[in-house]
Amino acid sequence: MDLLIQFLTNTGYYLMDFRNVIMLLVGSLFLYLAIAKEYEPLLLLPIGFGVLVGNIPFFKGFGLGIYEPNSVLHYLYFGVTTGVYPSIVFLGLGAMTDFSSLLAMPRLMLLGAAAQMGIYFTLISALALGFLPKEAASIAIIGGADGPTSIFLTAKLAPHLIGPVAIAAYSYMALIPIIQPPIMRLLTTQKERRIQMPDMRDVSRTEKLLFPAAGLILCCFLAPASIPLLGTFFFGNLMKESGVVDRLAQTARTAIIDTATIFLGFTVGASTQADVFLTPKSVGIFFLGAIAFSIATASGVLFGKIMNLFMKQKINPLLGAAGVSAVPGSAREVHQVGLKADPTNYLLMHAMACNSSGVIGSAICAGILWSFLV
Amino acid sequence: MYGLEAISAQNGWAMAVAGAMIVMAGLTVLALVISQLHKIAAFLEKGAEKRSEKKQAVKIAPQEAVVPKPPAFDIDEAQARLKPLVAELGESFELTNLYELAYSGELPHVHLSIRSLRESGVIVPVGDGRFVWRD
Repeated sequence: MDLLIQFLTNTGYYLMDFRNVIMLLVGSLFLYLAIAKEYEPLLLLPIGFGVLVGNIPFFKGFGLGIYEPNSVLHYLYFGVTTGVYPSIVFLGLGAMTDFSSLLAMPRLMLLGAAAQMGIYFTLISALALGFLPKEAASIAIIGGADGPTSIFLTAKLAPHLIGPVAIAAYSYMALIPIIQPPIMRLLTTQKERRIQMPDMRDVSRTEKLLFPAAGLILCCFLAPASIPLLGTFFFGNLMKESGVVDRLAQTARTAIIDTATIFLGFTVGASTQADVFLTPKSVGIFFLGAIAFSIATASGVLFGKIMNLFMKQKINPLLGAAGVSAVPGSAREVHQVGLKADPTNYLLMHAMACNSSGVIGSAICAGILWSFLV
Repeated sequence: MYGLEAISAQNGWAMAVAGAMIVMAGLTVLALVISQLHKIAAFLEKGAEKRSEKKQAVKIAPQEAVVPKPPAFDIDEAQARLKPLVAELGESFELTNLYELAYSGELPHVHLSIRSLRESGVIVPVGDGRFVWRD
């Protein structure tokens, strides 16, 4: 009988409290959004299931939890805390990204830079709310709308916040169709939304080959702390564009990035153990994350309008919203909002240029913040 | 510590302004550089084209310089064949007569044989378009 009672007191049913229930509901919501709504399913499905796994109550000391040394989850989580997974994800991203549109219209890169202003506004806001500088920087990077970059910087500066920061970043990325369009419509007129972008010129193979080298040198010399992200990113892109290592490029953009995404999503989800995750700080992080994301979108759009004051060839300010690096979600939204204003207005390729620029911009911002705070 | 006081104490204003300016400057420079990439690419492609043209020319040149090998020719044999004909023509003779005689006798490489014998000093001019045979 004692044995049975001892067994029952060790079960999850006995150890569960309301916080676990909340987190199980959050995980279920993520799974619902991923499967039923198809919002960023590649991210939300592993994270959602990870949340379920991480919030099954267990008897502490068995070496089961993600924060317990020698547990399997702890070893898998190693790739997150060391920044290995984000770096590998960037390798795959580089091998996927086609920079033709950015090379054809380099001025769109400025919109990617402008959209990073959300990061710095959030940095100030987080400091004002009483977060420590390293925590504030980790929260601010959510404004870059780049999951791997957010996780990378948080792992370096405030590892105890990886769970909330990652969940906030990926949640807002998944909610792009809800967050961004109202901001875009609020800040632009119907006439501005109808501005059609010119056709892009053809980009030669030599240009595409030169870009990764030029990008690496310019960006990493400026912010060497972004080497782990941009180094692999541009390497992946060179593999793609060189055309001489198709097998490697193919592996990087399929098997390697998929493997890293699975473990990244799953372990980040599992790191949201209720006792660690459900704190007032997490609430603050979610609040600031929403602000960061909204301001990033707004600053991109407003910068597009400012550029139009000085340029002969007007650009569609909606493109500024794609300056956040949520690839390709934000570019898709820009395209959709543009199409609603004018069914013949195709902005997707131009928006992808801003998106690519946003990826580079947010990685540079991560490097800058890391340099400031180490 | 909260609010503006916290921002100032943690150097927040400086970090935000400097960070924003650095990323803006960095991406502006990158945009400027990539706006010129097509010129560098055109320059490199032009250079590569020139090099490939040169390579092609080098490859073609030896083919053009190849001169077909002359048929196997033995000057002693030619001398032996033409000597009896020269004897028929007399001590001095005209090359055209020798040529016609050799040609009608269906001797091989008539022109080449006469030219070789001229160059080797077997057939020697004596003036007035006439030649003599010297062994």
